[in-house]
Amino acid sequence: MRLKYRAIRICGLALCVLGVTTGLRAAMPTGAASGSVGHAAPDFALPAALGNNVRLSEYRGQPVILSFWSSRCGLCARQLVALDRYYGTYRSSGLIVLAVSVDDDAQHAQDYARAHVTAFPLLLDQAKTVSRAYGIGRLPTTVLIDRGGVVRFLHSDDGAGDESYVAQIRALLDDKFGGL
Amino acid sequence: MNDTRSLPMPMNIALRSLLALALAAGLAAPLWAADAPSAAAASASAAVPGAAAASDAATVPGGAAAGGEGTATRSLDEQIQDLKKDVVDLNKDLFMLEEELLFPANTQVAVFVSMDVGDFFALDSVSLKIDSHEVSNYLYTPREVTALLKGGVQRLYVGNLRSGQHELIALFNGKGPHERAYRRAASVRFEKGVGAKYLELKITDHQRAQQPEFEIKDWE
Repeated sequence: MRLKYRAIRICGLALCVLGVTTGLRAAMPTGAASGSVGHAAPDFALPAALGNNVRLSEYRGQPVILSFWSSRCGLCARQLVALDRYYGTYRSSGLIVLAVSVDDDAQHAQDYARAHVTAFPLLLDQAKTVSRAYGIGRLPTTVLIDRGGVVRFLHSDDGAGDESYVAQIRALLDDKFGGL
Repeated sequence: MNDTRSLPMPMNIALRSLLALALAAGLAAPLWAADAPSAAAASASAAVPGAAAASDAATVPGGAAAGGEGTATRSLDEQIQDLKKDVVDLNKDLFMLEEELLFPANTQVAVFVSMDVGDFFALDSVSLKIDSHEVSNYLYTPREVTALLKGGVQRLYVGNLRSGQHELIALFNGKGPHERAYRRAASVRFEKGVGAKYLELKITDHQRAQQPEFEIKDWE
């Protein structure tokens, strides 16, 4: 009888511990969720196809558009053109655009960068560490990050010409999310 | 202390966060507690005959009441600032505690990077190997290089190592003289004793050779 009670108490205690640890894990940001909407954008440092290395955290305080692309993806090229247009318009307001290439061969991205000049840096993520951190499943994917470094919008399409993009960029520039 | 060490790390951090919150709440409590009696006194004074004078003063433009309000706001601001300072101090203490817990002095190894002049070398990245295991691969942005050139020292790596002989290899990538790609390695064998070990990767210019120099300094 006493053994039975002891077993029940141990089981109860184990369940409590399990509950607490599960709760703590749920409360803490995990690697998988960190790049999704409403979570902190994972920091990274990447070399540029042409130019200097770039670290995302250095742009804290400014809204950032992060676009994942590949030199072999036709939709990505259209997306980059649209983003270049937005960058030209909102650059003076503090907008930052970073395009991350997921090409296996950095040479392809560098050739693309030489052929299609953009005003923003084209970064190389050969190891795919950054695209994995953001859970990129398809190209092009565009992530909009607010001034506080939180992912606010995520687009897995080439709809950068849409009005919704402009509205979202303006919302980021106006700091409507209270990121800072 | 021993009890918290035996806990899993997330639990430990959570416990310390709770402790921080509790302490912050404890610090906040006296603030409101200090306000409460004064408020009570103010309401009580209104009931006593002497309080009439105070209410008269309030009707006078620029009277004592306005001055008192300003003083109260100022003191509240000061209390808030004190509270914020306490929270910052507490956060610092917690950070130090965490560091001590994760990297105890008897196993701690820290590697720092410093740069002097930089006319012959533009730093791009540093790769660090300890006992043939890559422990760090850091990419530098122009802003970080500027900070190093201004005299900043960066803690590149902190980890744990057991006592005994170890080898550290640092691989420096960047642009050397005449904008050419430059890749150099420096290595050092060091003895890890009972205390913490600090090593510094120093990048300096060798004026006579017109070349950069890479040195690993062992801080005793």
